[in-house]
Amino acid sequence: MKRITVAVTSMLVGVTAAGIAAGDKWSDQFPHIKNTGDIAGECSYESMSQKDYSGQTLTINTHAVPVMGEPTALHAEQFSALTGAEVNVIHTPAGDLYSKAMIPFQAGQAPYDIVFGFSNFIRDWMAYLEPVPEYYVNMRQMQDVTKSHIDVASWDGTMMQFPIDGDRHYLKYRKDVIDNPELQAKYLAETGNELRVPQTWKEYAEIAAYFNGWDWDGDGELEYGSAEVMKKDDLMYAAFFSRSVAYAKNPATPGGFFFDLDTMTPLINSPGFVEALTDWVEAVNYVPPGGINFSLGDEINSFGGGQALFSFSWDDAFVAAMEDGSAIKNKVGVAPLPGADRVWNRETGAWDETYNQAPYIVWGWAAAVAKKSKNHELAFDYLCFFSNDANHQADIAIGRFGVNPFKKSDFVPDIYIERQGWDQQIAEEYTETLMDMEEKSTNRVFPLRVPGVFEFTSAVATGTSKALAGQLSPQEALDEVAAEWEAIIERVGVDNVREAYAVGVALEDNLR
Amino acid sequence: MRYGHKYVFLLPGLLVLIAILIFPVIFTVRLSLSGWNSYNPGLDFVGIKNYVRLFTSDPRFWEAFSRLAFFSLTTVFLQYILGFGLALLVWRDVLFKRFFRVLFLIPMMTTPVIMTVIWKTVFHESLGPVNDFLSMFGLTPLWLSDPMLSKVTVIIVEVWQWTPFMFLLLLAGLLSLPKEAFLAASIDGAGPLRKFIYVTFPLMAPISIGAIIIRLIEASKIMDTIYVLTSGGPGTSTETTSFYIFIKGLREFQMGYSAAMSFTYLIVMILSLTVIVNILIRVFIGRND
Amino acid sequence: MRSFYITLKYLAIALWTAFVVGPFLWALSTSFKDFSSVTSGAKYIPWLQFKPTLEGWNVLWRTPARGGVDIAEPFMNSLMVTTLASAISIALGTLAAYALSRYTFKFGFVKNNDITFFFISQRIMPPVVLSIPFFIMLSKFGLLDTIAGLVTVYIVLLMPIAVWIMVDFFNKVPRELDETALIDGCNPFQAFFQVVLPNSIPGLVVATMFCLIFGWTDFFFSFILTFTEVQLLPVRIVALNSSITPWWSLSAAALISVAPLLLVAFVVERFLSKGNLSGALK
Repeated sequence: MKRITVAVTSMLVGVTAAGIAAGDKWSDQFPHIKNTGDIAGECSYESMSQKDYSGQTLTINTHAVPVMGEPTALHAEQFSALTGAEVNVIHTPAGDLYSKAMIPFQAGQAPYDIVFGFSNFIRDWMAYLEPVPEYYVNMRQMQDVTKSHIDVASWDGTMMQFPIDGDRHYLKYRKDVIDNPELQAKYLAETGNELRVPQTWKEYAEIAAYFNGWDWDGDGELEYGSAEVMKKDDLMYAAFFSRSVAYAKNPATPGGFFFDLDTMTPLINSPGFVEALTDWVEAVNYVPPGGINFSLGDEINSFGGGQALFSFSWDDAFVAAMEDGSAIKNKVGVAPLPGADRVWNRETGAWDETYNQAPYIVWGWAAAVAKKSKNHELAFDYLCFFSNDANHQADIAIGRFGVNPFKKSDFVPDIYIERQGWDQQIAEEYTETLMDMEEKSTNRVFPLRVPGVFEFTSAVATGTSKALAGQLSPQEALDEVAAEWEAIIERVGVDNVREAYAVGVALEDNLR
Repeated sequence: MRYGHKYVFLLPGLLVLIAILIFPVIFTVRLSLSGWNSYNPGLDFVGIKNYVRLFTSDPRFWEAFSRLAFFSLTTVFLQYILGFGLALLVWRDVLFKRFFRVLFLIPMMTTPVIMTVIWKTVFHESLGPVNDFLSMFGLTPLWLSDPMLSKVTVIIVEVWQWTPFMFLLLLAGLLSLPKEAFLAASIDGAGPLRKFIYVTFPLMAPISIGAIIIRLIEASKIMDTIYVLTSGGPGTSTETTSFYIFIKGLREFQMGYSAAMSFTYLIVMILSLTVIVNILIRVFIGRND
Repeated sequence: MRSFYITLKYLAIALWTAFVVGPFLWALSTSFKDFSSVTSGAKYIPWLQFKPTLEGWNVLWRTPARGGVDIAEPFMNSLMVTTLASAISIALGTLAAYALSRYTFKFGFVKNNDITFFFISQRIMPPVVLSIPFFIMLSKFGLLDTIAGLVTVYIVLLMPIAVWIMVDFFNKVPRELDETALIDGCNPFQAFFQVVLPNSIPGLVVATMFCLIFGWTDFFFSFILTFTEVQLLPVRIVALNSSITPWWSLSAAALISVAPLLLVAFVVERFLSKGNLSGALK
């Protein structure tokens, strides 16, 4: 007995020592993972070094540098060094990722083995993709991914996209204002209301309007209320949906958020959405000059540069604010999206006067392997390597990479405190808020992922931007959008859209 | 013998062009008769459904055309006036004229996709130099976010970029004018203004017409400027036909419909240009017979 | 009175110069900025108003794995494709233009002006819908992602310009020149190359300039029709355009991409000054 114990113990020690030694060996050669060393797994540096893909070539179409582009290229370089494969990476601006992948696909070709895109491409490009093999789905590394992100990467139970990033919309605010006792007192005295993290969009508007157009942080420049994505481009409709979910996603009326699943009538012009658009039109009054033409980049510049009190779309603005060298590092906070004091009930045709909040599991970066690629194994190994524990932990600590948390083990405050110099309180607020959104909420809205999705979103972008520009009233604008949606449904085929939409609704209604 | 030569001159170019184009053109016609889009790729046959849709239920296309007309005509007109003026300025009797000639050419040589981003930063309402300067006078015009003003911004950028085109063509034209006509006019005692109206301008007529037509064709395709500066916004105030075709084609991937729109656009442009050429001929040449 | 006009002249030149040069100066200044100097309001003079950095320029030589976009190879590719396509377009286009200027054609009801118009009408079509057929066509011939493939497509873009401009310039060359040459015993080709062409240098030079410009600055076709082997400069530069628009590196890129054409501009101006028709008749 004793001899066995000794043997086992020494084996364990040996393995651990070998493990630690291996970790050191890899982090010496690849400084990117120096904080954690190599972490064991089927796709770790160690495992990949055992593979030999020399003579084979992998072609990847990814986003521009640095967001997603730099990590893709970096991991490509590492992968190449470990396995001998030749990896070619091409960088494409965000708005063109779709066409750059779809044109060859539709012409029957697959010049890229791996394509990067947004996760809401899934229904459109699914037919050209190779599903993720069971082998990868069952890895511990994959099991660590949060449920929401597994859902986002899958279609009706099959994982079509490889999870490499997580995205969500959440509220970001300037802590040095909201938590500032002087300003709190001033706000209370002048408005009779408490200065706090806004719980509803109306409160958001009030606070933003109050803090609009004067220098409240003493840096000699004027500041404004809110930086939002309002430019009529490929992303602004997501900002609109974030504002809408609280008013329109009623847990009491399952069966569809964008459409009524049974009749496939668009719900986009229902009072919930109209109220949200009305709020948005009012927001034009508390955005910086030119705010109505802000693209995501402008929003990041504005909030990250300290110009705005609030922002609420993707992680990037928060990450930019928290970078070393940012003037507002550790002065920003995180909270769930504001809710609403009433939510529209489409069955009763009236408002339910209760507080409602719903996270919008917005789409984010996704990567997938082309079905016609001749290098499936190589491609999946690359993606697995990309998101292996060591790489992922290192990636999320580098703001400009655009890789945001999506694994359960990501939501640990220490990562941010130690490696990125975040204040403890902020790191905890961040991880808690995000984790709650991912794992705990049952009243969620999933991105629209039906065939021809961009026709629908383009209609929303056009309509809402007309309202923002004052060309139409919110109701008129959304009526126009609803009419366009009906035309699109007719062209695409009601059953096609319903079948696809049902997949998303099942997730929202927690039926799966 | 003499007549055989003319084919040798013409046909290489013409045939090469036709050879490369024939498939894409036929394909595009066929595409416009199909319902090719993101979830339904392939050349199914839907007859003239796309055209019907275009003519009966797409007012946005025709609205875009009116904006297109506005932008093209305004920018080309401005470019012509300015281009001609500049060409006259540096044609002769100016110090360093050769330096200025080169300098004035530069804007045309920038890549629109990249240069327009620079312009976006120039006109950025809170971080750009234009508003920085104007804020000294208390003004912060919303260059890119006001429906009216955004049109002006687009025009400014277009004029900056393409006036050199007119400038170069007209300068080349001026430099190849025969001196005899001017000598004759000088002998007759004509002053600079009369020389211009009765000698220079008429002699420049063919080149002027050619330049205006090319610029009109190019200006109508305006895409990068709008895409980067305003994405057709605010609302739809800077959305032109070519931008709309781009959105429908490459963003929404309604390729079949986009092809129908492109053909309609082609026909409208050909008709318009024919009319415009006739007008131009009467303006430039008819008057001075 | 005369000095008033002269002052006006120089004032106008000065104003336009400022308008032309302004954005470039701004781009130059911006190319030395970083995130914080861009987002804190408009700044102009390095060292005085902001801390300059070479990041914007360095990015253009670094590999993407280090956050850059290496523009060296695309730069050469662009040079090659542009010059090849322009050369072929000018050659074929000038010949065709001469024919259209001097001879009468009649293919059924199609006459000279119609043929000329056919050429220029190739410029009308917005390129969007042409993306799929050109893609398919090039892939059938294995020309995707190759220099040859791009050159083929660019010929379609550039030849019309060459034709349109040269027809105008040939029309200005008096027919007497041709006829004199023919009487002197030249065949039509000699008449063309030795007599007419040298007198159309301004036109030729201008047409070449435009071909080079339109070829160098095209984004769309090189974007759709290339992948990894052959990348052209505009496509590579645009790879910098991620969520945060990097004002600094794009400014640097804009300045670099103008450089080759600047050289061409000098050459063009030189030839313009030389070619003057009036001497020919003597």
